[in-house]
Amino acid sequence: MGDAAEKPLGDSYELFLGPAFPGLGNFAVKLRMDGERILSAKADPGYLHRGFEKLMEYRLPIQNAVLSDRICILEALAWNLIHAEAVEELMGVEPPERAKYIRVIMAELSRIQSHIIWYGVLSVGIGFDTGFKLAFGYRDYILDLFEMTTGGRVYPAGYICPGGVRQDLPSGVVKRIPEVLRKMEEMVDLEEVDNPIIPSRLEDVGVLSLEDAIRLGATGPVLRASGMKTDVRKEEPYEVYDRFEFEVPVRQEGDGYARYLVGIEEIKQSIRIVKQALREMPEGDFIAREFRKPKLNVRLPEGEVYVRNEIGRGEAGLYLVSNGGTSPYRVKIRGPSFLHMIPVLEHLLKGAQIADVPAIYWSLNICPADLDR
Amino acid sequence: MNAEERVIGAFTSRFGATGQVQRRGRVWLTVEKDRLLDVCRFAKEEMGFVHLSSLSVTDWVEDGEYELTYHLWSYEEKILLTVKTRIERDKPEIPSLVSLWGENAQAHEREMHEMFGVDYIGNPDLSPLFLEEWDGPPPFRKDFDWREYVRSEYYDVENPRERVYFGGD
Repeated sequence: MGDAAEKPLGDSYELFLGPAFPGLGNFAVKLRMDGERILSAKADPGYLHRGFEKLMEYRLPIQNAVLSDRICILEALAWNLIHAEAVEELMGVEPPERAKYIRVIMAELSRIQSHIIWYGVLSVGIGFDTGFKLAFGYRDYILDLFEMTTGGRVYPAGYICPGGVRQDLPSGVVKRIPEVLRKMEEMVDLEEVDNPIIPSRLEDVGVLSLEDAIRLGATGPVLRASGMKTDVRKEEPYEVYDRFEFEVPVRQEGDGYARYLVGIEEIKQSIRIVKQALREMPEGDFIAREFRKPKLNVRLPEGEVYVRNEIGRGEAGLYLVSNGGTSPYRVKIRGPSFLHMIPVLEHLLKGAQIADVPAIYWSLNICPADLDR
Repeated sequence: MNAEERVIGAFTSRFGATGQVQRRGRVWLTVEKDRLLDVCRFAKEEMGFVHLSSLSVTDWVEDGEYELTYHLWSYEEKILLTVKTRIERDKPEIPSLVSLWGENAQAHEREMHEMFGVDYIGNPDLSPLFLEEWDGPPPFRKDFDWREYVRSEYYDVENPRERVYFGGD
């Protein structure tokens, strides 16, 4: 609001985008414009602020597992997993082997569907509506698997809970995953079709140099597209990621097209991981003995943990502090979009053309929900 | 001596910090608030902790202190270094890390200022980030009970904004 009151810079004007603008998600950005060129951009988040960190201080881990779904709509299972890992590390509980494989399968399926949405929204951002429809059609195959496993298509309601997972993977799902993966390979083929729209709208748009990417705190596919080979799954393997073979795609260009290509390659690698996990998944329990019967008055031991995971959008973290009570004393959620949407987006929009705003915005693979929390 | 112990050793000899290794890749370091900026500069420029992953505030209301935590990641060592320091709750002031991490630290500190009221000295813009038209106390403080707040402010109280929807004068 303060910016609007500033005296105008020559002929420049201020343009508000969002937060209820369909092309930009639930997020606003204020642009100072000179004709069609952006002089400066100021992110204005808060539309989806729900205060999860405070809410979690009032609730038990068994409730927080359900609440953790809501941190990001598009990657609910990944956030379930982070919350569960943080509680387990604090309590010193080790989930059974089978649970770890199920978690990896669900987390990777979640990454695939999230990356497919990324392709869809990026397509719509550059005026390629067919891509959007393809993406949301193919994503539904994975949502069917989620529904069969967790009962919810989008929100799994704490399926990945402290101690393991709430239900074993149904045999129907195990049979169906290979079919769905074939569909996903089909989707990747469609994404890789020689389509002149995509490079012509994304090449040299929103170029993020490696130096800027590190300084601004970019992670995940955004950082990899700027030339840094990094992946939390490789650097500090959680669950059973160290047992699988997969590549970490890297591009040097740092533009929107590089991020797009990294995204496609990551879908392929996730398909590889799911196949290996499905092949090697052992029999056994799916939840640790201590958690088999849900107990309400479980005390969290005094201490603090910081858990990092690689989710589709980048590095996700959860800082959990306990003073020995049944609820956490303090929770800090580190969503990858916080830095992608404030410093990185502001940096990339400066000097860009107004027509490139959706392309830059969506090429960062962002989720306003995990920014606002 | 493994990499984690080497990291702690570097900070204890230079800054008199105390540290502990929680597990592989997790180092916790406690420093005095006056040394925070020097410790972070040394961590970033000499030790390779270039990525400011997150920063957080914990309100230890019974001790009358805020605990500030800075989570730094080193891509080379593959270690997460958490630098912790405590400041008084009545006078929550701490030097800003904007000189080291630029807009990254700026955005994080802006959020923490809004939620806890910590003043980051040297941060150019601590305007509200998420909350709109909020004039109450910083809401993530432990002594702010939002349930009580909602009860007193919104239950059985006429909301002037709702007149737009429900008529009235």
